[in-house]
Amino acid sequence: MLKKVFGGSTEQKVIDNINKHMQILFSASECFEKGLEKWDKDQMYYVADLEREGDSVRREIISTIYEGAFLPFLRTNICRFVEIVDEAFDALKDAALEFENLGSRLDEEIMDDCIKIAEINKQMCDMLMIAFGTLFNKGDLREKTLAIRIYEKKVDDMKFDLVSKLRKKEVKDFWEGRILSDFVSYLTHISDVIEDASDYLHIINLSMR
Amino acid sequence: MKVDEIMTKKLAIIDAGATIYDAIESMIDKRIRSLLVKPRDEKDVYGVITVRDIVYKVLGKNLDLNKTKVGEITSKPLVCVDKGMDVEHAVNLMTKFNITRVFISEGKEIIGIISLLDVMSAELIKKAREGRGA
Repeated sequence: MLKKVFGGSTEQKVIDNINKHMQILFSASECFEKGLEKWDKDQMYYVADLEREGDSVRREIISTIYEGAFLPFLRTNICRFVEIVDEAFDALKDAALEFENLGSRLDEEIMDDCIKIAEINKQMCDMLMIAFGTLFNKGDLREKTLAIRIYEKKVDDMKFDLVSKLRKKEVKDFWEGRILSDFVSYLTHISDVIEDASDYLHIINLSMR
Repeated sequence: MKVDEIMTKKLAIIDAGATIYDAIESMIDKRIRSLLVKPRDEKDVYGVITVRDIVYKVLGKNLDLNKTKVGEITSKPLVCVDKGMDVEHAVNLMTKFNITRVFISEGKEIIGIISLLDVMSAELIKKAREGRGA
Protein backbone atom coordinates (compact mmCIF):
# COMPACT_ATOMS: atom_id res chain seq x y z
CA MET A 1 0.00 0.00 0.00
CA LEU A 2 2.75 2.40 1.04
CA LYS A 3 4.61 1.54 -2.11
CA LYS A 4 1.61 2.10 -4.38
CA VAL A 5 0.75 5.49 -2.94
CA PHE A 6 4.26 6.81 -2.41
CA GLY A 7 6.26 4.78 -4.86
CA GLY A 8 8.95 7.38 -5.72
CA SER A 9 12.64 6.60 -5.78
CA THR A 10 13.41 8.29 -2.45
CA GLU A 11 10.52 6.44 -0.83
CA GLN A 12 11.81 3.19 -2.28
CA LYS A 13 15.25 3.98 -0.91
CA VAL A 14 13.76 4.46 2.57
CA ILE A 15 11.78 1.22 2.33
CA ASP A 16 14.85 -0.71 1.19
CA ASN A 17 16.90 0.76 4.00
CA ILE A 18 14.24 -0.03 6.63
CA ASN A 19 14.28 -3.63 5.40
CA LYS A 20 18.07 -3.59 5.56
CA HIS A 21 17.94 -2.14 9.09
CA MET A 22 15.66 -4.95 10.27
CA GLN A 23 17.71 -7.56 8.45
CA ILE A 24 20.80 -6.36 10.35
CA LEU A 25 18.83 -6.58 13.60
CA PHE A 26 17.89 -10.16 12.73
CA SER A 27 21.54 -11.00 12.00
CA ALA A 28 22.63 -9.42 15.29
CA SER A 29 19.99 -11.47 17.17
CA GLU A 30 21.18 -14.60 15.41
CA CYS A 31 24.78 -13.80 16.31
CA PHE A 32 23.80 -13.20 19.92
CA GLU A 33 21.91 -16.49 20.12
CA LYS A 34 24.86 -18.43 18.66
CA GLY A 35 27.30 -16.70 21.01
CA LEU A 36 25.14 -17.60 23.98
CA GLU A 37 24.67 -21.21 22.88
CA LYS A 38 28.37 -21.77 22.37
CA TRP A 39 29.38 -19.45 25.23
CA ASP A 40 31.52 -17.70 22.66
CA LYS A 41 32.34 -14.17 23.81
CA ASP A 42 34.06 -13.34 20.51
CA GLN A 43 30.75 -13.79 18.74
CA MET A 44 29.37 -10.95 20.85
CA TYR A 45 31.84 -8.47 19.32
CA TYR A 46 30.00 -8.96 16.05
CA VAL A 47 26.77 -7.86 17.75
CA ALA A 48 28.39 -4.51 18.58
CA ASP A 49 29.68 -4.26 14.98
CA LEU A 50 26.24 -4.94 13.59
CA GLU A 51 24.74 -2.38 15.96
CA ARG A 52 27.11 0.26 14.54
CA GLU A 53 26.14 -0.78 11.02
CA GLY A 54 22.49 -0.48 12.03
CA ASP A 55 23.17 3.02 13.37
CA SER A 56 24.58 4.17 10.07
CA VAL A 57 21.58 2.74 8.17
CA ARG A 58 19.22 4.48 10.61
CA ARG A 59 20.96 7.83 10.01
CA GLU A 60 20.63 7.34 6.27
CA ILE A 61 16.91 6.54 6.59
CA ILE A 62 16.21 9.64 8.71
CA SER A 63 18.20 11.87 6.34
CA THR A 64 16.40 10.55 3.29
CA ILE A 65 13.03 11.06 4.96
CA TYR A 66 13.86 14.67 5.81
CA GLU A 67 15.17 15.26 2.31
CA GLY A 68 11.55 14.85 1.28
CA ALA A 69 10.57 11.21 1.16
CA PHE A 70 6.92 10.56 2.06
CA LEU A 71 4.24 13.07 2.88
CA PRO A 72 5.02 15.14 6.00
CA PHE A 73 2.28 13.58 8.15
CA LEU A 74 3.82 10.14 7.61
CA ARG A 75 7.41 11.11 8.29
CA THR A 76 7.17 11.34 12.09
CA ASN A 77 5.64 7.90 12.44
CA ILE A 78 8.12 6.26 10.08
CA CYS A 79 11.03 7.95 11.88
CA ARG A 80 9.65 6.83 15.23
CA PHE A 81 9.35 3.25 13.97
CA VAL A 82 12.97 3.29 12.85
CA GLU A 83 14.07 4.75 16.18
CA ILE A 84 12.22 2.02 18.11
CA VAL A 85 13.94 -0.64 16.00
CA ASP A 86 17.18 1.09 16.90
CA GLU A 87 16.28 0.81 20.59
CA ALA A 88 16.08 -2.97 20.07
CA PHE A 89 19.64 -2.79 18.69
CA ASP A 90 20.73 -0.91 21.81
CA ALA A 91 19.18 -3.44 24.17
CA LEU A 92 20.77 -6.29 22.23
CA LYS A 93 24.17 -4.61 22.28
CA ASP A 94 23.87 -3.92 26.02
CA ALA A 95 22.99 -7.57 26.63
CA ALA A 96 26.01 -8.62 24.54
CA LEU A 97 28.29 -6.28 26.54
CA GLU A 98 27.01 -7.65 29.84
CA PHE A 99 27.50 -11.18 28.51
CA GLU A 100 31.17 -10.41 27.89
CA ASN A 101 31.48 -9.43 31.54
CA LEU A 102 29.79 -12.54 32.90
CA GLY A 103 32.30 -14.74 34.66
CA SER A 104 31.77 -18.48 34.61
CA ARG A 105 29.16 -20.24 32.53
CA LEU A 106 25.65 -19.90 33.94
CA ASP A 107 23.76 -22.80 35.51
CA GLU A 108 22.25 -25.11 32.92
CA GLU A 109 18.69 -24.22 33.87
CA ILE A 110 19.30 -20.47 33.62
CA MET A 111 21.25 -20.90 30.38
CA ASP A 112 18.40 -22.87 28.79
CA ASP A 113 15.96 -20.08 29.56
CA CYS A 114 18.33 -17.37 28.27
CA ILE A 115 18.95 -19.26 25.02
CA LYS A 116 15.22 -19.78 24.56
CA ILE A 117 14.57 -16.06 25.09
CA ALA A 118 17.36 -15.18 22.62
CA GLU A 119 15.74 -17.52 20.10
CA ILE A 120 12.31 -15.93 20.60
CA ASN A 121 13.88 -12.48 20.17
CA LYS A 122 15.28 -13.63 16.84
CA GLN A 123 11.89 -15.00 15.77
CA MET A 124 10.31 -11.68 16.73
CA CYS A 125 12.77 -9.77 14.53
CA ASP A 126 11.84 -12.02 11.65
CA MET A 127 8.13 -11.53 12.32
CA LEU A 128 8.65 -7.75 12.45
CA MET A 129 10.14 -7.91 8.95
CA ILE A 130 7.17 -9.95 7.75
CA ALA A 131 4.80 -7.44 9.39
CA PHE A 132 6.58 -4.51 7.71
CA GLY A 133 6.19 -6.32 4.40
CA THR A 134 2.41 -6.38 4.81
CA LEU A 135 2.32 -2.59 4.46
CA PHE A 136 3.11 -3.11 0.77
CA ASN A 137 0.97 -6.12 0.00
CA LYS A 138 -2.38 -7.51 0.93
CA GLY A 139 -1.04 -9.40 3.94
CA ASP A 140 -2.84 -9.21 7.26
CA LEU A 141 -0.89 -6.89 9.57
CA ARG A 142 -3.19 -7.67 12.51
CA GLU A 143 -2.27 -11.35 12.27
CA LYS A 144 1.47 -10.56 12.34
CA THR A 145 1.25 -8.14 15.26
CA LEU A 146 -0.75 -10.75 17.18
CA ALA A 147 2.06 -13.25 16.58
CA ILE A 148 4.53 -10.68 17.95
CA ARG A 149 2.36 -10.19 21.03
CA ILE A 150 2.23 -13.98 21.58
CA TYR A 151 6.02 -14.12 21.44
CA GLU A 152 6.28 -11.21 23.86
CA LYS A 153 3.92 -12.91 26.30
CA LYS A 154 6.12 -16.01 26.18
CA VAL A 155 9.21 -13.98 27.03
CA ASP A 156 7.31 -12.25 29.80
CA ASP A 157 6.36 -15.59 31.36
CA MET A 158 9.91 -16.86 31.04
CA LYS A 159 11.26 -13.67 32.57
CA PHE A 160 9.10 -14.19 35.66
CA ASP A 161 10.43 -17.72 35.99
CA LEU A 162 14.01 -16.73 35.30
CA VAL A 163 13.98 -13.96 37.89
CA SER A 164 12.67 -16.44 40.50
CA LYS A 165 15.58 -18.75 39.71
CA LEU A 166 18.09 -15.91 39.83
CA ARG A 167 16.91 -14.82 43.25
CA LYS A 168 17.95 -18.20 44.60
CA LYS A 169 21.35 -18.07 42.96
CA GLU A 170 24.30 -17.30 45.17
CA VAL A 171 26.63 -14.60 43.88
CA LYS A 172 30.22 -13.93 44.92
CA ASP A 173 30.06 -10.16 45.05
CA PHE A 174 27.97 -7.12 44.16
CA TRP A 175 29.27 -6.86 40.59
CA GLU A 176 28.57 -10.48 39.71
CA GLY A 177 24.97 -10.00 40.79
CA ARG A 178 24.66 -6.63 39.09
CA ILE A 179 26.06 -7.87 35.76
CA LEU A 180 23.82 -10.93 35.78
CA SER A 181 20.77 -8.88 36.66
CA ASP A 182 21.51 -6.31 33.93
CA PHE A 183 22.16 -9.06 31.39
CA VAL A 184 18.74 -10.62 32.02
CA SER A 185 17.03 -7.20 32.05
CA TYR A 186 18.45 -6.24 28.64
CA LEU A 187 17.80 -9.69 27.20
CA THR A 188 14.14 -9.62 28.22
CA HIS A 189 13.68 -5.96 27.25
CA ILE A 190 14.30 -6.63 23.54
CA SER A 191 10.92 -8.31 23.09
CA ASP A 192 9.14 -5.32 24.68
CA VAL A 193 10.82 -2.97 22.23
CA ILE A 194 9.97 -5.14 19.21
CA GLU A 195 6.37 -5.23 20.37
CA ASP A 196 6.39 -1.42 20.55
CA ALA A 197 7.79 -1.32 17.01
CA SER A 198 4.99 -3.57 15.77
CA ASP A 199 2.45 -1.25 17.42
CA TYR A 200 3.98 1.60 15.44
CA LEU A 201 3.53 -0.36 12.22
CA HIS A 202 -0.14 -0.47 13.07
CA ILE A 203 -0.14 3.32 13.54
CA ILE A 204 1.62 3.81 10.19
CA ASN A 205 -0.92 1.54 8.55
CA LEU A 206 -3.81 3.53 10.05
CA SER A 207 -2.30 6.87 9.12
CA MET A 208 -2.19 5.83 5.47
CA ARG A 209 -5.92 5.14 5.26
CA MET B 1 5.03 -29.26 13.71
CA LYS B 2 6.35 -31.45 16.52
CA VAL B 3 5.17 -31.21 20.11
CA ASP B 4 8.61 -30.49 21.53
CA GLU B 5 8.82 -27.35 19.37
CA ILE B 6 5.95 -25.75 21.23
CA MET B 7 6.02 -27.41 24.64
CA THR B 8 6.63 -25.58 27.89
CA LYS B 9 9.39 -27.01 30.01
CA LYS B 10 8.05 -25.31 33.11
CA LEU B 11 6.84 -28.25 35.19
CA ALA B 12 6.09 -28.17 38.86
CA ILE B 13 5.89 -31.33 40.91
CA ILE B 14 4.02 -31.96 44.13
CA ASP B 15 3.75 -34.92 46.51
CA ALA B 16 0.52 -36.85 46.60
CA GLY B 17 0.53 -36.39 50.37
CA ALA B 18 0.61 -32.56 50.19
CA THR B 19 -2.54 -30.63 50.97
CA ILE B 20 -4.70 -28.84 48.40
CA TYR B 21 -3.67 -25.59 50.07
CA ASP B 22 -0.02 -26.39 49.24
CA ALA B 23 -1.04 -27.10 45.65
CA ILE B 24 -2.90 -23.79 45.33
CA GLU B 25 0.05 -21.94 46.80
CA SER B 26 2.44 -23.57 44.33
CA MET B 27 0.18 -22.83 41.35
CA ILE B 28 -0.19 -19.18 42.30
CA ASP B 29 3.51 -18.70 43.02
CA LYS B 30 4.55 -20.25 39.75
CA ARG B 31 1.65 -18.86 37.69
CA ILE B 32 0.70 -22.29 36.34
CA ARG B 33 -2.56 -24.19 36.13
CA SER B 34 -1.49 -27.77 36.74
CA LEU B 35 0.94 -29.73 38.85
CA LEU B 36 2.56 -33.05 38.20
CA VAL B 37 1.87 -35.42 41.11
CA LYS B 38 4.73 -37.71 42.12
CA PRO B 39 4.12 -41.45 42.22
CA ARG B 40 3.58 -42.70 45.80
CA ASP B 41 5.85 -45.71 45.27
CA GLU B 42 7.62 -47.65 42.55
CA LYS B 43 4.41 -49.31 41.41
CA ASP B 44 2.55 -46.04 41.19
CA VAL B 45 2.54 -43.69 38.17
CA TYR B 46 2.65 -39.92 37.73
CA GLY B 47 -0.64 -38.06 37.98
CA VAL B 48 -1.85 -34.51 37.43
CA ILE B 49 -3.87 -32.03 39.43
CA THR B 50 -5.35 -28.99 37.70
CA VAL B 51 -7.10 -25.80 38.72
CA ARG B 52 -10.29 -27.34 37.38
CA ASP B 53 -9.90 -30.35 39.70
CA ILE B 54 -9.43 -28.05 42.68
CA VAL B 55 -12.45 -25.91 41.86
CA TYR B 56 -14.83 -28.76 40.99
CA LYS B 57 -13.70 -31.44 43.41
CA VAL B 58 -12.68 -29.42 46.45
CA LEU B 59 -13.95 -25.84 46.46
CA GLY B 60 -17.24 -26.78 44.79
CA LYS B 61 -17.87 -29.39 47.47
CA ASN B 62 -16.77 -27.18 50.35
CA LEU B 63 -14.01 -29.55 51.40
CA ASP B 64 -11.30 -28.37 53.76
CA LEU B 65 -8.24 -27.20 51.78
CA ASN B 66 -5.91 -28.05 54.64
CA LYS B 67 -7.27 -31.54 55.18
CA THR B 68 -7.83 -32.74 51.63
CA LYS B 69 -4.76 -34.35 50.12
CA VAL B 70 -3.58 -33.87 46.55
CA GLY B 71 -3.60 -37.65 46.03
CA GLU B 72 -7.36 -37.75 46.65
CA ILE B 73 -8.21 -35.74 43.55
CA THR B 74 -5.28 -36.59 41.27
CA SER B 75 -6.09 -37.76 37.77
CA LYS B 76 -4.15 -40.83 36.64
CA PRO B 77 -2.58 -41.97 34.44
CA LEU B 78 -1.16 -38.98 32.59
CA VAL B 79 -2.01 -38.52 28.96
CA CYS B 80 1.44 -38.34 27.37
CA VAL B 81 2.90 -38.17 23.90
CA ASP B 82 6.45 -38.73 22.82
CA LYS B 83 8.45 -35.56 22.10
CA GLY B 84 8.76 -36.39 18.42
CA MET B 85 5.01 -36.66 17.80
CA ASP B 86 3.03 -34.20 15.71
CA VAL B 87 0.98 -31.51 17.44
CA GLU B 88 -2.03 -32.82 15.54
CA HIS B 89 -1.76 -36.10 17.43
CA ALA B 90 -1.72 -34.26 20.77
CA VAL B 91 -4.79 -32.27 19.71
CA ASN B 92 -6.58 -35.51 18.83
CA LEU B 93 -5.86 -36.83 22.31
CA MET B 94 -7.12 -33.59 23.88
CA THR B 95 -10.33 -33.90 21.90
CA LYS B 96 -10.77 -37.60 22.63
CA PHE B 97 -10.24 -37.31 26.38
CA ASN B 98 -11.69 -33.81 26.72
CA ILE B 99 -8.55 -32.48 28.38
CA THR B 100 -6.75 -29.18 28.01
CA ARG B 101 -3.15 -30.32 28.41
CA VAL B 102 -0.96 -33.20 27.33
CA PHE B 103 2.39 -34.12 28.84
CA ILE B 104 5.45 -34.68 26.70
CA SER B 105 7.71 -37.60 27.47
CA GLU B 106 11.15 -38.74 26.47
CA GLY B 107 11.43 -42.39 27.40
CA LYS B 108 10.03 -42.65 30.90
CA GLU B 109 10.79 -39.06 31.75
CA ILE B 110 8.25 -36.24 31.57
CA ILE B 111 10.02 -33.30 29.92
CA GLY B 112 7.28 -30.82 29.16
CA ILE B 113 3.63 -29.97 28.72
CA ILE B 114 1.49 -28.45 26.01
CA SER B 115 -1.82 -26.78 26.63
CA LEU B 116 -4.64 -25.63 24.36
CA LEU B 117 -3.21 -22.11 24.55
CA ASP B 118 0.19 -23.35 23.35
CA VAL B 119 -1.44 -25.10 20.40
CA MET B 120 -3.50 -22.03 19.53
CA SER B 121 -0.48 -19.69 19.79
CA ALA B 122 1.68 -21.99 17.68
CA GLU B 123 -1.00 -22.23 14.99
CA LEU B 124 -1.42 -18.44 14.88
CA ILE B 125 2.33 -17.92 14.56
CA LYS B 126 2.51 -20.55 11.84
CA LYS B 127 -0.31 -18.84 9.97
CA ALA B 128 1.39 -15.44 10.31
CA ARG B 129 4.63 -16.90 8.94
CA GLU B 130 2.86 -18.44 5.98
CA GLY B 131 1.86 -14.90 4.99
CA ARG B 132 5.48 -14.02 4.24
CA GLY B 133 5.78 -12.46 0.83
CA ALA B 134 2.02 -12.67 0.27
